Amino acid sequence: MRDLVQHLMKDLDVLGVIFILGLTCYAMRAGGYVLAGSMRDDGIAARFLRLAPGNLFIAFIVGGCLSGGLAGLVGTMVALVTMAVTAREWAALGAGFGAALAASAIGL
Amino acid sequence: MTAAGFRRGLVAALPFLLSNGAAGLVMGLTYKGLGLAAPQAILFSLLVYSATAQAITLSMWAIPLPVAAMVVACIATNSRYLLMGAHLRQLFGGLAPRKILLSLFLLADASWLMTSSDADRNGPDAGYLLGSSIPMAIGWVGGTALAYAAPLAASGPLKLAAALLPTMFIATLLPSQWKNAASPWPWLTSAVVALLVSRFVDPSWSMLIGGGCGTLVSMMERTDA
Repeated sequence: MRDLVQHLMKDLDVLGVIFILGLTCYAMRAGGYVLAGSMRDDGIAARFLRLAPGNLFIAFIVGGCLSGGLAGLVGTMVALVTMAVTAREWAALGAGFGAALAASAIGL
Repeated sequence: MTAAGFRRGLVAALPFLLSNGAAGLVMGLTYKGLGLAAPQAILFSLLVYSATAQAITLSMWAIPLPVAAMVVACIATNSRYLLMGAHLRQLFGGLAPRKILLSLFLLADASWLMTSSDADRNGPDAGYLLGSSIPMAIGWVGGTALAYAAPLAASGPLKLAAALLPTMFIATLLPSQWKNAASPWPWLTSAVVALLVSRFVDPSWSMLIGGGCGTLVSMMERTDA
């Protein structure tokens, strides 16, 4: 019984987090439309938002490569180069994954 | 908002059934590997509906769930939607917000890009935004569900795919982001700070602190370029 209650509590926690994250993401999607009237295009907040994505992506990739080991690093680099050359997302993902798989197979 | 625009967007975005389906499948397999039940995973893909936010919150998954860090991560990584939304207001300024709220629920990078491009050719039409959003959403959520319905397991190559594809997916966005960069210094700052935070503080904060520091360096540069 105690296990069942703990299991239910954990499920409720996960559902709660999903709803909070969903609400957050929707607020970001709708927020720009609603607030557009009062936001200056040349303001500091607009400039920060405009400049943030690339920097966040780089930091995310560094974290991912650290946790993914050498195979992850090889795969990510191959995906990045393939995307730069072909501009095709799925070619990049396929090549990157193939490289990571090969690197993993040889023990990297 | 016209029916013709809706149909035009729906047809144009049909290929996303396949590409978003494959990506959703990987996301679903990752959720499966974490022990999430099918309804939870499907709800996650439906309500959050953001590969970036889902990939990043997945990387932060721990018990107890770091809710505050996850919310900040969602805000930070989805901040671009604020600008997309502001741009859509310029396109559809005459449309009452209540008429576009459903479309904004399904707003994605690709649907925004396609809608902007279609507006240049055919004039602004909020129907196009909704129409192009639907195949993308069906692909993404359907792919997540398929991970549970099909006899697939997150082991071997699939486990590797689930672990590495989110990072690779984000990496594919870099070439387009690089076009907007004025110099390499902000990205170098982001990378070095993320590395240090991940190594010496907490890996779950490396993206936010590293990206934030890099953005501050970007702001100190003379132009956004």
